Amino acid sequence: MSQANPNPIPPAPSAPASPKEVKPAAPISRGDFLWAGWGMLAAFFAATAAAGARFMFPNVIYEPSQKFNAGPAAGFDLGVSTKWLNEQRVWIVRTSTGFYAMWARCTHLGCTPNWWGDQNRFKCPCHGSNYTMEGDVIAGPAPTPLWRAKVELAPTGDLIVDKAILENKPGKRENPPYFVDFASV
Amino acid sequence: MPTVDIEKIKKEIIDSQLWRSVFRGGVWKDTPRDRAAHIIGNVWLHLHPVKVRPRALEWLYTWGMGGISFALYLILTLSGVALMFYYRPTIGLAYRDIKDLEFAVTLGMFLRNSHRWAAQAMVVAVIAHMVRVFLTGAYKKPREFNWGVGVLLLTLTLFLSFTGYLLPWDQLAIWAVTVGTNMAGATPILGNEGPLGSLAGMRINNDVRFTLLGGTMVGENTLLRFYVMHCVAVPLVVGILLILHFWRIRKDSFSAAPYQANEEKVDVWPHLVKREYVAAAATVLVIMVWSILQNAPLEAIANPNVTTNPSKAPWYFVGLQELLVYFDPWIAGVVMPGLIIVGLIAIPYIDTNPKGIGYYAWKERPFANTMFMLGVVLWFALIYIGYACRGPNYAWYWPWESWYGLKAAPPATWSVFGPKGDGAYSMLIGVPLLAGVSAAWMLLPKMIQRDLDGRKTMGAFLGLLAVLAAAGMAMGKMDVLQGAFLLFFLGSSFYFGFMLPQRHIRTLDWPRYLVTMVLVVSTMSVLLKMCARLAFNIKYVLTIPSISMNI
Repeated sequence: MSQANPNPIPPAPSAPASPKEVKPAAPISRGDFLWAGWGMLAAFFAATAAAGARFMFPNVIYEPSQKFNAGPAAGFDLGVSTKWLNEQRVWIVRTSTGFYAMWARCTHLGCTPNWWGDQNRFKCPCHGSNYTMEGDVIAGPAPTPLWRAKVELAPTGDLIVDKAILENKPGKRENPPYFVDFASV
Repeated sequence: MPTVDIEKIKKEIIDSQLWRSVFRGGVWKDTPRDRAAHIIGNVWLHLHPVKVRPRALEWLYTWGMGGISFALYLILTLSGVALMFYYRPTIGLAYRDIKDLEFAVTLGMFLRNSHRWAAQAMVVAVIAHMVRVFLTGAYKKPREFNWGVGVLLLTLTLFLSFTGYLLPWDQLAIWAVTVGTNMAGATPILGNEGPLGSLAGMRINNDVRFTLLGGTMVGENTLLRFYVMHCVAVPLVVGILLILHFWRIRKDSFSAAPYQANEEKVDVWPHLVKREYVAAAATVLVIMVWSILQNAPLEAIANPNVTTNPSKAPWYFVGLQELLVYFDPWIAGVVMPGLIIVGLIAIPYIDTNPKGIGYYAWKERPFANTMFMLGVVLWFALIYIGYACRGPNYAWYWPWESWYGLKAAPPATWSVFGPKGDGAYSMLIGVPLLAGVSAAWMLLPKMIQRDLDGRKTMGAFLGLLAVLAAAGMAMGKMDVLQGAFLLFFLGSSFYFGFMLPQRHIRTLDWPRYLVTMVLVVSTMSVLLKMCARLAFNIKYVLTIPSISMNI
């Protein structure tokens, strides 16, 4: 072959020094050997535990989409609509200025509150949290206001709600994308 | 007509190679040696000693509750395995399979009933067993470790119940598990909704709740996970701990009571084994009759979007549910249950009283017995309130009130100390004030090194409260009922949480004393927070929203 060898054989090492000059490595002490052994065993068990814990976190989950079409905005009357509660767990609220979509999940421990129109309150059946129509806590153990979901107005006039994008801070939740202005309907 | 020689036939059978290969030993002559060999030579019975103290046989001493718990565990294993033949753990099939078990499978209803009722009976039996062991001081040296194993077994019994009631996939199932796993999501640091959770990088799809659910919501993975935990993983752990529990009972001997003069041990066979079989037979009979007379509840099929109103946990968790009304989820759902478990395990190590080992000793162990029974009574009082006094919207309905009348909306709650806008007063006053009161409460009982006159001190404290209440009423800030609440809850907290420790445990060394006081003060904090919420609509005494520190 005319091709040059890319890995030329390294030159042969020089002749070894006389055997008398080679000192054997210091033998590993019994104590160090045991430490290393037990250490490796402990590392093995720790790694097994970590791998076992990681195994319990699925990499792919098959869950329904959080986005849905709530139908024509004009179809909602003033106040709280429970139309989508049973299917999508969302209240569509129409105020005098526009729309917002409230995720019907109690911020305490995740039950679905009920809307009591005559008392103007959401009340949770699990631990008795009470919320106003705006989603603010007035009684019971819930720590934070109800979440509002992202809501958009499609060109068709339908409300598109996305429960994966949420906001509950006063000042932010009253603005787009968590609020659809009435004027745009 | 030839006569049948029964004795001869018996001898021939027993001497046959087949019989001898199965059963060790020869003809039964009921000698002490035979009775000992019956225990030693039997894999099932050899967990027993050969002889046992006569005290260990008395029903009034043991209540038989440990043995009955184990009998119930066996009933649950058998009925559970039977149910598994007809049950498929998927969302589409689970509820239908339970309905089939009820209406289409021969004995299906009976087996499901047995499984449900035996599970509830086991919760009662295990708790009763713990109470008995506590009251007879049977956890003291050298049995501390076995008491700890027992506490773990109690916890696992409750966890088995919890994982079990997701399986029917009815409304009770899905909402109990939603609430339960959301409590896990409120764990400090490890949960995405818990304090410091977001700082530690927890999100809805990587925290401890996510592993329990196998997803971000209760779904197919959750059902499968709970099924595997309920049917395989947890029973295995329980089985291993049971072996340990029984082995230690035997090694530490059956009765802790002081020896009496001329006390002679009796043969375990037949005296103890006979009683165990009678108790097991009675347990089976009770569960069978109960299962014939009453069907296990099954609610409507699970709807992940709408909760039943009211939605209540099974009775043994309703106390926890009621606790969650008063405290934030990470406190009521994680810290307090954790404190209860750790505190129970710690009891044998903090109780240095050498008296009252192996017998009921109300007079010799006034503090230990009072505090423990107070905890048990408080737990069952919470269960009673949650079970009997809560109606639609989890509002307060007296047991005699109809659930059809809608209650007026509860008044708005308020917080005492917090940042501007969240609390009525500044948290800059609240933090040092609460820290000071807690420190004084924790330390003073030990630092006052003399006997307080119980009547005078209690009288002075109640008098002070009465003056406060009267002033509050005069200023129109309090009504009579609120005054009575204040007197009762603060008075009893002071008596059980201050007077009793001051009288009985101030001589303990500091570490044991402080651990005990942490448990005592936490117990009293439940009483105090209940008073604050029920009578004064106080949501939090102190709130620091930025770190989810709400108490």
